[in-house]
Order: sequence, then C-alpha cells, then structure tokens
Amino acid sequence: MKGRTKFIKGYLFATPLLVVLAVAVLFPALYNLGIAFSEYNAASNSWRFAGLQNFAKLWNSPLFWNSFKVTLLWVVGNVFLQLVIGLAVALALNSILWFRGPFTGILLIPWISSFVVVAILFIWIYDPQMGVLNDILLRMGLIEKPVAWLASPQLAQASLIVANTWKFFPLVMITLLAGLQDVSPELVEATQVDGANWLGTFRMVIFPTILPSISTGVLLSTIWAYNSFTLPIVMTGGGPLRATEIFGLHIFKLAFDAFDFGAAAAASLVLFIQIMIVIVLYLKVVERD
Amino acid sequence: MSLMASKRARRRLTKGFVYIFLVMASAIVIFPYLWMALSSFKPIEEFFTYPLQWFTKNWTLAQYAGVLEDPKFLASLWNSLLVSSIVTALSLILSIPAAYGLTRLRAPGGKSVLVGILSSQFFPPMIFFVPFYIILSQFRLLNTIPGLVFAYLSVTLPICTWMVATTFRNIPRELEEAARVDGCGDIKTIFEVVLRMSLPGILTAGLFAFVLAWQEYIFALLYTTTTAAQTAPVLLFYYLGQHQIDYGRLMAAAVLLSLPVIFPFAFMQRYFRQGRGEGSIKG
Repeated sequence: MKGRTKFIKGYLFATPLLVVLAVAVLFPALYNLGIAFSEYNAASNSWRFAGLQNFAKLWNSPLFWNSFKVTLLWVVGNVFLQLVIGLAVALALNSILWFRGPFTGILLIPWISSFVVVAILFIWIYDPQMGVLNDILLRMGLIEKPVAWLASPQLAQASLIVANTWKFFPLVMITLLAGLQDVSPELVEATQVDGANWLGTFRMVIFPTILPSISTGVLLSTIWAYNSFTLPIVMTGGGPLRATEIFGLHIFKLAFDAFDFGAAAAASLVLFIQIMIVIVLYLKVVERD
Repeated sequence: MSLMASKRARRRLTKGFVYIFLVMASAIVIFPYLWMALSSFKPIEEFFTYPLQWFTKNWTLAQYAGVLEDPKFLASLWNSLLVSSIVTALSLILSIPAAYGLTRLRAPGGKSVLVGILSSQFFPPMIFFVPFYIILSQFRLLNTIPGLVFAYLSVTLPICTWMVATTFRNIPRELEEAARVDGCGDIKTIFEVVLRMSLPGILTAGLFAFVLAWQEYIFALLYTTTTAAQTAPVLLFYYLGQHQIDYGRLMAAAVLLSLPVIFPFAFMQRYFRQGRGEGSIKG
C-alpha cells in the first residue's frame, strides 16, 4: 500500500511536465510518422494513407541521393576534425596546472555561442573581398588572389565544416577532458620508467582509458552533425549547386519550398533512423567494454 | 645527473610548447569575436578599403546607433526577451516538481522516465518541422509568441528536467528526512530544503533554458514569417538577405545579441567544467 501511494505521489508531481511533453514532443513526433505514410489532398484538405509512396518518391529523387551523399561527407568531416582538435586540446589542457581554468573557459566560448552569430561571423570572415581570411592569407603570401570560400562548390563544404568544427570542438574537448581524469598518473609514470616515449604511453595507457569518452564524444558530434541546420542555411542556403544541401536543408526545402509535407516527413524519418543506427552502434561498443 | 637535468629541460620545453599551443587555440577561438567587435566600431567606408584596415583610427558608434534606431530590431529584441523569459519560467515551473517527484520521492521507474525524457533531445528538429507547422496553423498560433513558446518547450524541457534532477539527486537525504521529522509536508520540504540546497543548480538550468531560447533560430525562422513575433536571430538573417549586405549594422547587431549571453556563460561554465554537462548536449 505504501509503495502504491509513493508511486502515485511521485508521478502526481511529474504529471504536468509529462502532459506538456506528450503534447509538445510525443504527439508531434507520432504525427510526423503518420504524415510520412500519407498523402495530402489539398482539395478536401485531408490526409489519406499512401503506404510507402513518399519513400519511393525519395528513392527515385536524385536530389535526395545528393543530400544523402552531402550529409555523409558532412558528418564524417565534422566528426573527424572535431575529434582530432578536441583530443589535442584536451590533452594539452590536462597536462597543465597553471591557467587551466581560464584556458578551458575561453575554449568553451564557441559552444555557448549562438548559431546565427557564428554563421554571420564566418560569412564575414570568408567574404572574398572584405573577409579577413583572404586578407591574412594574401599578406602571408599563401594565396595570390582572393578565394571565394563559400561560392565555390569544391570549397563550400570544407569551409562550412571548418566553421562548424570551430563551434563544436569544445563539446568533444570537455567530454575527453572528463575522461582524462580517470587516467592513473602512477600507470603513466610506470610506463615511462619502462622506457616508453610519449606516443607509446598514449597508445598503451591513455587511449584505452579514455576510449569510452572518445566513443561518447564521437556519438555526440555525430548526432549534432546529422541534426545541423542553421550554419548551412545561413551561410550557403545549401548551395552552390546543392553542394552543401545536407538533410536538414533538403527537408526544409521539401516542406516549405515545395510544400511536399509527406516527402519532408518521410525524409526526416530517414534522418531519424540514421541517428538511431548510430546510437545502437554506440551502445554495442560501450556494452562490449 | 646531467641526464636528470636534460630530462627536466626537455620537460620544461614540452610544457612551453603546450602553452604556446593553448595560446594559439585560444586566439583562434577568440579571433572571430574580436574581429566582429573591431568591425562594429569601424566607419562603413573603411569596410571597403584594400588591404583591410584592422584597427580604425576613426572609432564610431554609428553602426550601433543605426541598429538601435531601427524599430524592427528593437521589436525583435523585445520578442526575444519575452519568449525567452516565458520559456524559462515555464520550463522551471514544470521541471522542478517533476524532477522532485521522480528523484526525491523515489517514484518507481523514475530513472527510466528521466532517461526517456532526456533522450528526446537527440531527436532531429526536422521531425518537428511539418507537424509543428500544421499544429500551429490549426490553432492560429503561427507568427505568435505563444506559438514559439510551444515549439521552444520541446527543446528546453528535457534538458532542464535532467539538469534539475541531477542537482536534486546530490542533496543528502538526511536533510530532507530531518525536515519531515520537524513536520514539513511535501510542499514545505520542497521550499525549505530542496530548493534552498539546489538553488545554484536550478539557476544554472534556468539560465541554460534562457540561453537556448534566446539563441533559438530554426523554429523562429519557420514559424514567424511576419514581424509580429519575429525574434532577433531571425531579423539578423533578414539583414543578411538584403541585396547589399550591411555588414556594419550586422556586426553591431550581432554584438548586441551576444552580450546577454556572456554573463550567464561566466556563471554556467563552472557547471560544464565539472564535466557534469555531459548529458546536456544542446549547445
């Protein structure tokens, strides 16, 4: 009887939140699922079941496959860069005592920055004529004439990935920094006494210890890369020639340019499934350890 | 002995390189903001000089005056403030009792419910694009503040609840039990013990919700096409969309938009530095 009242009381306190979440998260998510399998009839303003029609439409659409490819490149590029930079910075921070706090604070700034402000900062930095990046590279003699970073199909994706990495490496950094606290100093010392150099110590002691943190960092940056929207839509709008049209932008265009709600919902499910696969893989890796 | 000395010298050299690396990394992180701030005080003519003038001799506040005299920008700032405040208040009002019920009252399965709530923040925002649009238009909430509040709650509630629950879990149970022995009921225990003990954590969760709403851009872009409820980030996007981009004004506006976030950040970074922010991945 006591357990029952506890159950009721605990959930009584949680009820308002759970109701709002049901209305604002669960219901829209299920609604989206329904739309993905339906066709909208504008004449009668109604929906009817359409089976896999929306998915078939995506399957046959070159634009969808373009966005699939672009997204894959975007995710791999972002995760790789963020991991390399995040790891380097985390190792550096972990090896110092003086000013560790202030350095960490400064290096966290991009993460807390607003997406729109970051997008505007980088448009301005990348600007061919007025941008400071070209100015610096010209002064250093690394390029001979201004480069159109965002206007060239070959460079736009890479330029966006760099901007996005600037925004997100702190997330990987802070995750790995937390993991590095578990590395035993005695073990590091012992390995060094045995004659291992820095790389050997990293490979034999540090890396195995922080592997779970690395997996978490990779998971978080992968999810974030898949869920990206603001940076590309503000900086390139998916162009030039759809070279940066990742899933988020493709879904946006399907929904609000073509007003094909069914296809947009179906594409968002494809995105959702990809993220689920990544999470399942992560759980597999973590469980194995 | 000389071996020891050379080893120490090498270690000192490595330390030196580590500091140089960190200084460079910090410089790269700060540079875009520094450049934005420098640009925002430059007269507009100097934007086009070649090669670029990094430091102007003619400091001016004209860009700021231009932005602050724009009634559209002021209205959008007001909208941002309004939406963020309402969302923050609602997020705390809903998440505090829920976190209390699920952790302190030891509701069976509370932990799983919390994990379920938190995991919803991994959902891509794109799955809400269409359903939110249809729901908001059905209830005539497109281009309104309540409409935005509704959409934003889906972003702030999960993370807020998780953060508050984490704080609650760290309160020693003895304190709470002592209050009960003294005859405090649930409500009184919440106010007298739990809230007082976890005030920093709750404040952090509230600031986080505010910053998230203040910076939110996706739903604001999708569901406010008129100026009625347009928030500042969306207005910046429209500044950008003009035929001739007014970079001076854009930089000044971006500085103004970033300022309110600096102070919460100074407070919040302690929380993230402790590594407790791992569950909070919304940036």
